[in-house]
Amino acid sequence: MQFGIFSVGDITPDPTTGEAPSEGQRIDAMTRAALKAEEVGLDVFATGEHHNPPFVVSSPTTHLGWIAARTERLLLSTSTTLITTNDPVKIAEDYAVLQHLSGGRVDLMMGRGNTGPVYPWFGKDIRDGIDLAVENYHLLRRLWREPVVNWQGRHRTPLHGYTSTPAPLDGTPPFVWHGSIRSTEIAEQAAYYGDGFFHNHIFWNKEHTEQMVKLYRRRFEHYGHGAADQAVVGLGGQVFIGETEAEAKRFFRPYFDNAPVYGHGPSLEDFSAMTPLTVGTVEQVVERTLGFADYVGDYQRQLFLIDHAGLPTDVVLEQIEILGREVVPVLRREFERGRPAHVPSDPPTHATLVAAGPDAAHHQVEPARARISAEEPAV
Amino acid sequence: MTRRLLVVSAGLSEPSSSRLLADQLTDAVRAAVTARGEDVVVDVVEVRELAHDLATMMTTGGMPTPALSRVRDLVSAADAVVAVTPVFGASYSGLFKLFVDALDTDALNGMPVLVAATAGTARHSLVLDHAMRPLFTHYRAVVVPTGVFAATEDFGAAGLAERVGRAAAELAALMVRTEGVEGFAPDPAARPRRSGTGVPDDVTPFERLLRGHSG
Repeated sequence: MQFGIFSVGDITPDPTTGEAPSEGQRIDAMTRAALKAEEVGLDVFATGEHHNPPFVVSSPTTHLGWIAARTERLLLSTSTTLITTNDPVKIAEDYAVLQHLSGGRVDLMMGRGNTGPVYPWFGKDIRDGIDLAVENYHLLRRLWREPVVNWQGRHRTPLHGYTSTPAPLDGTPPFVWHGSIRSTEIAEQAAYYGDGFFHNHIFWNKEHTEQMVKLYRRRFEHYGHGAADQAVVGLGGQVFIGETEAEAKRFFRPYFDNAPVYGHGPSLEDFSAMTPLTVGTVEQVVERTLGFADYVGDYQRQLFLIDHAGLPTDVVLEQIEILGREVVPVLRREFERGRPAHVPSDPPTHATLVAAGPDAAHHQVEPARARISAEEPAV
Repeated sequence: MTRRLLVVSAGLSEPSSSRLLADQLTDAVRAAVTARGEDVVVDVVEVRELAHDLATMMTTGGMPTPALSRVRDLVSAADAVVAVTPVFGASYSGLFKLFVDALDTDALNGMPVLVAATAGTARHSLVLDHAMRPLFTHYRAVVVPTGVFAATEDFGAAGLAERVGRAAAELAALMVRTEGVEGFAPDPAARPRRSGTGVPDDVTPFERLLRGHSG
């Protein structure tokens, strides 16, 4: 199973001092978090993408390229890549280059984005959100899989005789996840292509996460990619770890109370009860995280939100240290204990996709369509 | 067939005049439905008890608490709603609006609704028609023609009971109305009602989403 951290890339003043890092300091802090993740044995670092203050993550491949140069093993991912407002032609190029630079240590997560004004800034309309996600992603699949693309859609200039350069590393496109909190269409999209489905998990109640993952699993099987329990699932998580539960809560409470998204709202205790947020000891974090599989089934990737809400960089690095050295080794062991043999432990990686060969379903633009037509009786 | 009535009262005091009016309306609707030969089950929501949950939902980007999820399911499963608010500042109370804001935008499609309000003075009575009615119309609910407004003095005056009875009869008529035979001449324009608490099962097949987008 893969474990890692995902960053929103927010600049939030430390509520205990009122001090906020500069943009440069925040970018550097994210880099240090990624390097620490590799150092302590985590598998994945994922960056968000935003195009407005108070965020600094407007150019994910630039940042991931820099991290790639300074790491050996770490898998570089996104949380999320805006498939609605980015040009799929540019996504195809950027992430193919990143694949080549990093030796294939790339996958990415598609998301629609939740900031209304971003759409008009990039010449799009938020009311077309689902439409854009569908059209742009399909074009991206073709760009990565067809040497010459002739394409015409509703939201972009047509392409005639277009070749995306460079081609994906080893002719093998990166594995893709689709992230969504509430849109069933996105779970359906992930299922249709046999891609991974990632649920943010941390801003919503677990009953909801469970239903979204179930829907994706059911449809993954429907489209012929395997059994429902073999679908590729990732979850977000949010933890703050201390020597004792009381100490963890004492330290984290001001950060919680003033955090973006849920600050100035419910109490830390209420929010911990409703969502996966766990503020406590290593043992409590381990137990809570293992419990996720009880409602989503055996899954393949667990990412934690650590560097947010204005937490000082040294505290963030220490949290990653505890996560990597004390929490994840236990999670790795325990998650495998209950996993049936036919359920994959890991999501597809560049190595496994290359090993599967050029005829594998991953290389088809629409593997489900091929299967559906194969099942239809010849007339 | 048993009908479900959901009564929403946004009064703040204990006892509140909004709840008093809500109870009168409940009795009248129950009588009017049983008079039409049907049974009725009543659920009452005191919005005051959800104040904390509503604040939580509004400060977490819309995550419903367990209590709100239960209430949202009750709302959308009802055959009719009685909504009673005190008048604050020439409109429904903020707490009442918070409750309505916490509903799914498809929670009240085609829902028969009886609007009622209480205030210290009869000068506020147009709140029903200038605030409550447009609010529920926006939610595509069917608001019965008679709204019931009770100023403090109305609780001791003739006329309130009559208005209560008339509004209840209008609501009951919509509750026991015979629907067309299932599947016979379905209305393609009718929007299904959704509480928004669960993930809908009826996912649009991807082939349909992809139509016209595959290049």
